[in-house]
Amino acid sequence: MAVDLLTLAFQRPHIDWHGIAPELVLLGVGALITLVDIVFLEKARPITAALAGLGLLATAVPLLTLAADGTDRVMFDGAYVVDEFSLVMKAIFLLSAYVVVLLSTNYVAEGDYWENEYYGLLLASVMGMVMMASARDLVSIFVALELLSIPAYLMVAWRKRDLRSNEAGLKYYLMGVFASAVMLYGMSLLYGVSGSTMLDDIGTAVAAAGSSVPVVTMAIVFIVAGFAFKVSAVPFHTWAPDVYEGAPTPVTAFLAVASKAAGFVALLVLVLVAFPSASDVWEPLVWILAAASMTVGNMVALRQTNVVRLMAYSGIAQTGFMIAPLAVAGHGGGSADQALSAVVTYLAIYAAMNLGAFAVIIVLARKTGSAETTSFAGAFHYAPGLTVAMTIFLFSLAGIPPLGGWFAKFEVFRVLATAGEPWGYVLAAVGAVNSVIALYYYAALARRMWADDAPDGDHAPVPMTPSLASALGICGIVTLAFGVAPQLVARFTDVTLAALGG
Amino acid sequence: MDAAVFIVSAVVVLTGAAGVLVARNPVHAALFLVQTLFGVAVLFVLQDATFLAAVQVIVYAGAVVILFLFVIMLLGVDRAEDLGIEPIAGQRSVAAIVGASMLGLLLTVLLVGVDGPTGARGANAALGGAEDNTRRLGEALFTDHVFAVELTALLLTVAVVGAVVLARRVRGPLQPMPVVTVASATGSDDASATGSDEATATGDDPAAEADDEGEAG
Repeated sequence: MAVDLLTLAFQRPHIDWHGIAPELVLLGVGALITLVDIVFLEKARPITAALAGLGLLATAVPLLTLAADGTDRVMFDGAYVVDEFSLVMKAIFLLSAYVVVLLSTNYVAEGDYWENEYYGLLLASVMGMVMMASARDLVSIFVALELLSIPAYLMVAWRKRDLRSNEAGLKYYLMGVFASAVMLYGMSLLYGVSGSTMLDDIGTAVAAAGSSVPVVTMAIVFIVAGFAFKVSAVPFHTWAPDVYEGAPTPVTAFLAVASKAAGFVALLVLVLVAFPSASDVWEPLVWILAAASMTVGNMVALRQTNVVRLMAYSGIAQTGFMIAPLAVAGHGGGSADQALSAVVTYLAIYAAMNLGAFAVIIVLARKTGSAETTSFAGAFHYAPGLTVAMTIFLFSLAGIPPLGGWFAKFEVFRVLATAGEPWGYVLAAVGAVNSVIALYYYAALARRMWADDAPDGDHAPVPMTPSLASALGICGIVTLAFGVAPQLVARFTDVTLAALGG
Repeated sequence: MDAAVFIVSAVVVLTGAAGVLVARNPVHAALFLVQTLFGVAVLFVLQDATFLAAVQVIVYAGAVVILFLFVIMLLGVDRAEDLGIEPIAGQRSVAAIVGASMLGLLLTVLLVGVDGPTGARGANAALGGAEDNTRRLGEALFTDHVFAVELTALLLTVAVVGAVVLARRVRGPLQPMPVVTVASATGSDDASATGSDEATATGDDPAAEADDEGEAG
């Protein structure tokens, strides 16, 4: 009888196989790497990195066919959505991960680390991000968040014989778990209010409850705080410098770009789909996060002597810029769409220029064995090409035209200024002042590379590898393309969220 | 009938909780905890939360308490804890005050509160008809949330792989820092060849010492 009941009640869920093809390909590649490792053992080591890179590129193929198809797909009763926003974000994740694989190839092989597991975990983390881009219910979002975070905790501690790496892994893990717990608490409150985990239903319930209900306010604050940790916004940034410094540098690049972008994806989706009616709660919150991140990040970055720590604080400041458009996203009349496009544009450009900067750091560290700013002195004398590339990435991060970072900041300021809100103008002014401060330390690093002399007068050339060169090439081209021809490229990041039924 | 089951299981829960406090042997305390958790599981069944009851037995009574027992056994059960020692000065009096205030708060809410407990069941999602919640949960998991459920499997695999990699001890040389591949700085060469500990110990080269100091400072 029990069997009868089961067969009667169970409706097989409709699965759009084309819609989840990217995830399936990625999963297949991850399984393939694991299998190859089991079958061929040590003989598989040389090809694992290539396999991971090719797998990420292969995953992009179904993305292209989905983009060509262009219809919004909704699966699992609205829990999983394929729309413009999710496709563009998936593309950003896959490309960033591909560059990270290029950066890791020599680093991991020469460091004699576990290689197959490294790429397996990297792909698992990317899988979480790809899922996050499509997730539209609390359960999927949480599983995606853990799937992208747990491999990252492990990869941070990958340099097992280095105490700093162990410390970084532990710190990142503990802080991450704490943030997850706070966020889960907020999510459980939301579920209690709405009786559903679907963001769409939650949006309806929150609108009906009104934002003055304390429990809704508390839920929103907890959830935003949890993701503020993930994107390392002040005051939830304290983990970033230590973790960035202790982690293997390619992993640092991965955290600084892909992991941060994934946090932003979840934040955007939650704020714009689940809480659009409670903008009086999250707008001031985001405003404070943005202003504090910009100011604190830049102020502390001024005093750094280690390039990786400098990049960590610069990343915190950039988070402030990225999150800023959300502070004026709740006024209706297209303000949410504008903010969404501005954030996605910033994320794409930031991924290119930040990965580029990390690529140069990794290449130079192959020669100097150190990430202190002093060891970067005089790089122009032995590596002029690298110095030019680093200067491009640094000035792009500072927002100097005609580089990509300029267009990213321009979009943010445009959204802030066109909102017609006094608070928007104030935030724009804070951002402008911070751009000037940021230029100082970026330019100081560039000046050191151009003008100073190399320590010990050591002018031996830097060992370059094809994978590092192609990583630099990809980042450089994207950074320049966004700056020189923004109209052409920005079409791709001018995205909208699919309107869910209801 | 409901009332009888409730009273019996409440007694089981409370005696178990009291047992955890008064048992002198830590293993006995852990077993009393199992008793409390079983009592709570019965209370869940009483509320028609059968799935929660099963999870309570499997996860709490099955896994969590077993872990407690592992730790107790590993640390040694023969050493009875001297309860006269306070690891943190004044913690006992603070605990007493906090406990008494919590009890007072609870009693105030129960006895004089306006929004006291009503005895009504579940505010949200009334369970309709004969369908028990285990089946509904299973349906929800394998229809709307099937993607998340499948990826949780990947998540668990990843966690196991990562734990093994991080915990595994490797024999033979493993370079501490992979950044140096060309013979540029003599100090770094030492480090990559022999491991950082020995490099510091035998680092008579001034360049090597300078490097180490740079990293420390």
